[in-house]
Amino acid sequence: MILVSLLGIILAGCSSSGLRPQPGLNAALQRSADSRREPALGQRWLVSIASRNGRERIELVDLRTRQPVPLPGLNQAGSQPVSVSVSGNGERIAFVRTRDGRTELMLYRRGAAALQRVPVEPTGVPRQVSLDGEGKRLAVQVSREGRWDVDVIRLP
Amino acid sequence: MLLLAGLSTTGCSGRSRRAPSGLVPTQQQQPSLSGDGSRLAVIADQRGRPTVQLRDLKSGQLLQLRHFSRHQPHSSPSLSWNARYLAAVIQRGSRKLVLIEDRLTGRAHPLRLPAGQDPVNLSLAPDGRELAVQTATQGRWQVVVFNLSDLLEPDRPGGRRVTTTTQEP
Repeated sequence: MILVSLLGIILAGCSSSGLRPQPGLNAALQRSADSRREPALGQRWLVSIASRNGRERIELVDLRTRQPVPLPGLNQAGSQPVSVSVSGNGERIAFVRTRDGRTELMLYRRGAAALQRVPVEPTGVPRQVSLDGEGKRLAVQVSREGRWDVDVIRLP
Repeated sequence: MLLLAGLSTTGCSGRSRRAPSGLVPTQQQQPSLSGDGSRLAVIADQRGRPTVQLRDLKSGQLLQLRHFSRHQPHSSPSLSWNARYLAAVIQRGSRKLVLIEDRLTGRAHPLRLPAGQDPVNLSLAPDGRELAVQTATQGRWQVVVFNLSDLLEPDRPGGRRVTTTTQEP
């Protein structure tokens, strides 16, 4: 019976062939957070929203070292991340956060540790964001007058 | 004309425009840009069913997808650099799985996660060599990264195709 179950597990593994888990990286991701959501991949970067001790923070992991990298000034007190995306080279992070009752679209430049708000016009409430590879264009899901739109914004 | 009317300037942060949605405006959610920024995948309602749509941003035209006309609801689309690969979560029977469409060869790669995990959100690496998946495991969200290099050729910036297999004319 156990052998049959084991065979079933092995066959189930075969049916998802082509999907090769990365055990070291995945174990490190599990160890370093109570839970983790909203993954977005750059070329060698994984950005996600990680929860520790009931607080959610945006975290950028270098896939080569499997270590998080510092993001000074990005995770601010009283700020709740909603959605996050990273450029291909890991230099720019776009995210949506709620803070002081407002929902804001933000852009973080890692090299300068600079955080700026990206205006949503016409006014709307941003929800989900996606950056292109160079971080020069973003698409954002926006709630306006009870419906969902997608805006595409060119960034300087 | 509608597109021009949608153009607006957003101060020093660049220029924004509403993604075109055709003559009948439909709601669009879960945007994903290709790495080169030329294509946009969204989830839009088609006859009440959340369905992946892919659009060329320059022409505004919808692009044909071979493998995303059924198995709704679709969610969490993600594109590779030149939009050669489009990955999304689909529903087949009672299970959710990841479907990757190779728009160059027309092939579909349905991927069931190991150990009965259901995908919730996903992200394809720009070159298509890795896939990050958010799953619900034992009541908590987790992110698992898979290597796809046995499955997909890289989709690199500039559209360079690197392959060792024989190519069809």
